Amino acid sequence: MDITFLKIAALFYLLAGVSFVLYIFFQRDTVSKLSPIILACGFTAHTAALGIHFFQTGYPNVTQFREALSFYSWVMVAGYLVVHFKYRLSVLGSIIAPLAFLMTLAAFAFGTGSEALPPELKSYWLPVHVTVAFLGNAAFALAFGVSLIYLLAERQLKHKKMTLLIKRFPSLETLDRLNYVFLVWGFPLMTLGIVTGSMWAAIHWGSYWSWDPRQISSGIAWLFYGALLHGRTTGLRGRKAALLTTFGFCVVIGYFLWGDAIFPSRHGGRFD
Amino acid sequence: MQKEILIVGLNHRSAPIEVRESVAFEISYLREALARLRAYPAIQEGVILSTCNRVEVVAAAADGRSAAAEIKKFLDEQGARRHAGQLDEHVYAYHGAEAVRHVFRVAASLDSMVVGEPQILGQLKDYYGAAQEAGTVGAILHRLFHRAFAVAKRVRTETGIASRAVSVSSVAVDLARRIFDRFDDKTVMLIGAGKMGGLMARHLQSNGARSLMVTNRTFERAVELAGSIHGSPILFEDFPRYLKIADLVIGCTGAQEVLIDAGAVGAILKERKHKPMFFIDIGERRNFDAEINKLDNAYLYNIDDLQAVAEENLQERSSEAEKAETIVLEEVENFTRWIHSLEQVPTITALRRRFEEIRRKEIERSLGGSLKDLSERQREALDDMTTAMINKLLHDPISQLKNNPREEDEEGILYAAALKKLFGLEGK
Repeated sequence: MDITFLKIAALFYLLAGVSFVLYIFFQRDTVSKLSPIILACGFTAHTAALGIHFFQTGYPNVTQFREALSFYSWVMVAGYLVVHFKYRLSVLGSIIAPLAFLMTLAAFAFGTGSEALPPELKSYWLPVHVTVAFLGNAAFALAFGVSLIYLLAERQLKHKKMTLLIKRFPSLETLDRLNYVFLVWGFPLMTLGIVTGSMWAAIHWGSYWSWDPRQISSGIAWLFYGALLHGRTTGLRGRKAALLTTFGFCVVIGYFLWGDAIFPSRHGGRFD
Repeated sequence: MQKEILIVGLNHRSAPIEVRESVAFEISYLREALARLRAYPAIQEGVILSTCNRVEVVAAAADGRSAAAEIKKFLDEQGARRHAGQLDEHVYAYHGAEAVRHVFRVAASLDSMVVGEPQILGQLKDYYGAAQEAGTVGAILHRLFHRAFAVAKRVRTETGIASRAVSVSSVAVDLARRIFDRFDDKTVMLIGAGKMGGLMARHLQSNGARSLMVTNRTFERAVELAGSIHGSPILFEDFPRYLKIADLVIGCTGAQEVLIDAGAVGAILKERKHKPMFFIDIGERRNFDAEINKLDNAYLYNIDDLQAVAEENLQERSSEAEKAETIVLEEVENFTRWIHSLEQVPTITALRRRFEEIRRKEIERSLGGSLKDLSERQREALDDMTTAMINKLLHDPISQLKNNPREEDEEGILYAAALKKLFGLEGK
């Protein structure tokens, strides 16, 4: 049942992605109004899928890698929809919607059905830790999206070669401000994710910090984003900030995808 | 009787400005002019359109030829008041679908001097409104103008015809918009009190810029220009000190040497915490160091760059105009189809009337003879049955007549003629 809804959500995300991309090339008002609605439909189906799973099993389905992917894209889409109502960033939608499609697709393409929850994960910490951690990551994903757009727009302005694309972009000032806003939201959430994670670790593994690869990598990412945020408050902006945001996100998402294969961890949500 | 749409007038291509001016109708005298227009016998509906690029009369008339002659006379009279001389060589006339196309093109700003300029639609609406008030608009022109407004909107949203800046100062503002979200919290510095710079500063102000500094080697001229555009004059020697609070810097001096070099800008950017700066160099020679553009968060466009963008946009516009022409043609087809469907209305009513006549006659005859014993209920049933029969018989032919597609117009006309002959509708 939840898988059916997940498939519906993926389909809507795909349609929304196509619609957002179409809007960039053929600026039709109807398309620009339609795309966020399609995306919201996908989000509703996705919410239903997650909700059904939660009520059937009593815990959020984030314990396996593919489930985590799906949850991640759900949070990201939610974040985008909130931002969209304020800034009408269809261009960002054209990055977020296809990304959400790929992630939900992966969530059921790698197998379906849940195994029994390992006993060490049965805890109230699970929903709290996972939600804040993914909210933080979703904010970073959005920051990554606006940074990409910034880099593209900035390049065209510098090289004095304007394509039709740039007309659809928000101004550099707006893009740069959004990058900052997403970092400001993402960093505290990430911090909370690490704090709740280590408290949970203290209960189940017996210590707050055990130099587990996942803990080390999170720590490094935290330091990186912290430095970036500090830089932003002291005059780091524009292209350099966008480049660093892009780099940081690529490393984090890369670790999320392949890190556990290289450095086995006790952390749940493994890709296996 | 079928009405024809026609348009007679002169525009920026057919007549020089002096002639257009002498024929122009001021909007305040329009009511009176429309009354004169209506007094002509052949003209049934009329709208006068008069802008600095065109004077045109759109009309609906049963006899298009005499209506066109009358409009020419009407324009001649208007011109004669101001001794315009012969207008004949400047006046054009379009009839039917050609006239519809012309009106749509005007509304969509395809017939404008600067294709895509946005004012024409508003003017069209004003003049249409005046005609409506004067009572010279009927069903045909009502529909025509409302379609024209819709076509203009379609062209605007579906093509990029109006979306690209084509003058140097509008290109500059356009570029500034891609860097800055808003101008009301930005500061503009104008170096040199030239005409071009003043124009650009005004353009930025009309887009929301509030804070403006003006500097010039001759301080009096800076004071003068600052006064006329509500800026603050600053001494030429002092401008480097103020540069750090300027977000947009416009250089338009005749200076031989570079006024601002990249090294200085680099230091200023650091001081500004790298808040972006946009340098617009429209001086006779280069006022700003070209290396500025290589600095992060600094953007430099000189006059050649701006002109190149304007040129590109102009080309873009003409290719967009082609798209717009296709839309116009499509809409003209839809409109003529509607006009043609009006043509079929008399045939359809005549056909219905004929069938109804036969039905009544036959029922009366039967009820007077072989069916005279029928009860009231049975009579009613018979009436219903025959009506239903006729409706069913007529349904297909009538819907065929009503919505025959454009390509089959010839066919539609043929069908109508055949029906008239077959059922003896002529002269009834």
